[in-house]
Amino acid sequence: MDTNVHFRSATENPCKMCMPMGAILPFKGLENSMVLIHGSQGCSTYMRRHMAEHFNEPIDVASSSLNENGTIYGGEKNLKQGLDNLMQVYAPEVIGVLTTCLAETIGEDIDRITSQYLQERGLLKSLIVPVSTPGYGGSHAEGYWQAVKTIVSHLATATPKHSKLNVIIPDISPADIREIKRILAMMQLDYTLLPDYSTTLDRPLVKPYRKVPDGGTKIEDIMAMPGARATVQFGLTLEQNLSPGHYLAKEFGVPLYNLPIPIGVQNTDLFLQALQEISGVAVPAALQDERGRLLDAMVDSHKYNFQGRSVIFGEAELVYAVCQLCLENGVYPVTVATGSKNSPLAQLLQPKLTDVDHPVEFIHNADFVAILAHSMDANIAIGPSDGRYLTEKQGIPLVRLGFPIHDRVGGQRILSVGYAGSMMLLDQITNTLLAEKQRGYRQTMYDTFYRGADRLPDATLPNSGLRGERHEL
Amino acid sequence: MALDEKDLDAMLNAYPAKVKKNRKKHILVHDSSQARQEIEANTRTIPGIITNRGCAYAGCKGVVLGPLKDMVHIVHGPIGCAYYAWGTRRNKAKAEDSKQNYLNYCFSTDMQESDIVFGGEKKLAKMIDDVVATFHPNAITISATCPVGLIGDDIGAVAKAAEQRHGIQVLGFNCEGYKGVSQSAGHHIANNGLMDKVIGSGELTEAPEKFAINLLGEYNIGGDGWEIERILQEIGYHVIAVMTGDGSYAALKNAHVAELNLVQCHRSINYIAEMLETKYGTPWLKVNFIGIQGTIDSLRNMAIYFDDPALTQKTEAVIAREVARIEPIMEQYKRLCEGKTAFCFVGGSRGHHYQGLFAELGVKTVLAGYEFAHRDDYEGRDVIPEIKPDADSKNIPNLTVTPDEKLFKLKISPERAAKLKQTIPLSNYQGLMAEMTDGSIVVDDLNHFETEALIKALKPDIFASGIKDKYVVQKMGIPAKQLHSYDYSGPYAGFNGAVNFAADVSMAFTTPTWNYTTPPWKNQPLLAGTIESN
Repeated sequence: MDTNVHFRSATENPCKMCMPMGAILPFKGLENSMVLIHGSQGCSTYMRRHMAEHFNEPIDVASSSLNENGTIYGGEKNLKQGLDNLMQVYAPEVIGVLTTCLAETIGEDIDRITSQYLQERGLLKSLIVPVSTPGYGGSHAEGYWQAVKTIVSHLATATPKHSKLNVIIPDISPADIREIKRILAMMQLDYTLLPDYSTTLDRPLVKPYRKVPDGGTKIEDIMAMPGARATVQFGLTLEQNLSPGHYLAKEFGVPLYNLPIPIGVQNTDLFLQALQEISGVAVPAALQDERGRLLDAMVDSHKYNFQGRSVIFGEAELVYAVCQLCLENGVYPVTVATGSKNSPLAQLLQPKLTDVDHPVEFIHNADFVAILAHSMDANIAIGPSDGRYLTEKQGIPLVRLGFPIHDRVGGQRILSVGYAGSMMLLDQITNTLLAEKQRGYRQTMYDTFYRGADRLPDATLPNSGLRGERHEL
Repeated sequence: MALDEKDLDAMLNAYPAKVKKNRKKHILVHDSSQARQEIEANTRTIPGIITNRGCAYAGCKGVVLGPLKDMVHIVHGPIGCAYYAWGTRRNKAKAEDSKQNYLNYCFSTDMQESDIVFGGEKKLAKMIDDVVATFHPNAITISATCPVGLIGDDIGAVAKAAEQRHGIQVLGFNCEGYKGVSQSAGHHIANNGLMDKVIGSGELTEAPEKFAINLLGEYNIGGDGWEIERILQEIGYHVIAVMTGDGSYAALKNAHVAELNLVQCHRSINYIAEMLETKYGTPWLKVNFIGIQGTIDSLRNMAIYFDDPALTQKTEAVIAREVARIEPIMEQYKRLCEGKTAFCFVGGSRGHHYQGLFAELGVKTVLAGYEFAHRDDYEGRDVIPEIKPDADSKNIPNLTVTPDEKLFKLKISPERAAKLKQTIPLSNYQGLMAEMTDGSIVVDDLNHFETEALIKALKPDIFASGIKDKYVVQKMGIPAKQLHSYDYSGPYAGFNGAVNFAADVSMAFTTPTWNYTTPPWKNQPLLAGTIESN
């Protein structure tokens, strides 16, 4: 069943954030870059706060600090002044200018203002990438892609063919990016990975501290993306108008491999197959070993995993890949949810559900009240930390994955891609199921075999300690 | 190490000239030999400066309204703002009726593009209906985000119609993010709404018990309010309403019957404090329950106000017992902290309050400031008549109250009030600068660039601020202490809180982690001496 509009008009405990929040992240993955949000300063302050808590890193985002005056006379003066100050203090090579509810509602034309600014100051077009991200225009996931797409369309210029590969990634962790890069190196590929926040948002503690961190995708590399031999993009759930890979294919004829995030054995196989095809280099023995180890782990754990009934929620792209991992390990989904309004999750996943013996609920524009309502029979949840609501209300244990993770440390270090990462995520899922089982195992055995089966407690009661126990003693 | 005006001037040279000129007025070296030092505050933030300030919505919904536990707080707007103010301030609450605590919920109308075009009033009205049907709250607030005011949604009208439909109070707050220059505007808007519509609407006409007080500007972060209430209740005070940590709509309605209002965070709640005095004749007392001496002074000032021998005796007994109990523990921690220096940059009161607690641990505050304070929070309330209203402050409506015909009752005679004002901070606040040492730096609206420059110049041992600075500071090799959310710790107020704080700060100084930042191969060879070669 595909639920798009739930019966309530209330959104309680949302499963999404707003567009500019998502759009900050790609700019944090550009070399020597800064971001300025055109709107009330509360927007940048709130978003900095939330990103800092997830990444445990400084998140420096400027604001044009629009106030009531700006709502009447327009924010052009503030924006230009903000850019001047940002340039003077940080000397960035590129500035992302993002809009907000406020800027969009009063009709600010940031394309015009920023190009005029560059002209007035005699600066290069590449210095400012304006991105339209009204808070009401979509979730943070759409904001992320809107920014990546605009970075590419704004900077990419017709370039002679070269041997590099474009790799375009969705919102995955810095640790995931490092793993993707390790695999690319093992496949002997030269590449431009966009956006690369693997260092900028997971910085080693080394002195001296630098206001603008090292690392990030180089601007000249982005400019040269049209000359690449191919694009590998983890953007299977993307609408074409938000897809940078489709843009490069359409405008510059760069062949596109639009793949799922390499989580799970099949998705990682697809990634390596594509890399092998592009590079002509056979998958090296070391990676084949990693694949073998993942399969070994899957075999070893299958009897536990088959007891799993999962709720998978968050950004659509990640949800798709995690669903695949769950499906190939028997942790069959009960509920698949995303805060995005439109996503092809149901169409993409429905054909893969033939072995699932229970109905699977797909929820778009989800909030946690809707998710919970459809998850009464689940015994594991996988997604960002707001899913703790499911634990608190219904005792469903949560494996934290994705963005944001606010109530635990290390969100930036969670590794779940590639064979090695998939194995780590799978182990965590398996162990969470085991921990849940062990938490109530003795009680269940006592109740069932000593007191008699009629004393079997109702596993749907919150905190009965028995979420994993009902069908599988 | 100290900085003088010249050093500050040199630091500000990194800015464009106009910015330098502006920022200079917000930073000073404290010098008590000058009759008075003026600092600029509550003026517009410079665009492009990476400020820590938030918006009016943050001050209204996030700070003042959010902690009221038995009301559902609906955020009318696109999803982001509701999400970002969801559970982030660690306001703790326990409800008498567990079904009447909505603090863990986030309610949003989740406006879409079509709502921006066609208006969101219908959606809001429908949402209120749903919320009433599902949750049965005592009352509802609606907080407006930026687009609401711009598209002209009349949340006041929606609220009024909903009140008629459901028979509960529904309060609309026009706290659009662009109003004013910081969250301070939102505090004011929230204060006005609560004063106008809630406080005084309860049935009580006089205090049900002796020594009835309200505690204003205490948000129960990490349980601070509970520790304060523990002490107050033991002494014999009857707390009617807390504004707003662990506070409730039900209690707030009767706040008018208190004999005295305590003001902890002056900035966010002084409007209500003043209006309570005008409308109901209840004076307010500036208190500071952060730090042992701060707590003792506050308790003694309260006893002076009530002037009751038994109460005074009990106050002294509790103080003596608590101090005897915690002093030996504090002494242990003091040994670990003695001689260190701190930066203390927080919102509107903690930048001041924590200096005393730091001092009790032997830590000197060398820089302090506020994110969104006004001049009176720095210079004291005497300066208020001199503050000229500007375009931004004029945009925030001023609520004028007059003595309530039925409920106004002078709690103490004007003569006694005048006399008390000589000795205790009755209806007065002296500001942060009065307690700072000479040569320390006072800075308003500290930003990212200045944080780094001042750390380099003054090399503090600890930086007390919020999460946006935390990782910058730690990357520079200096421990940070979050004084907004307490890094999941607390309470820090009162006597027990002082011990918690001492433990947390000592831990920051003594953690072995900092010893490993330089790898051994950069320092010395593994083998001392030379290896003989054959």
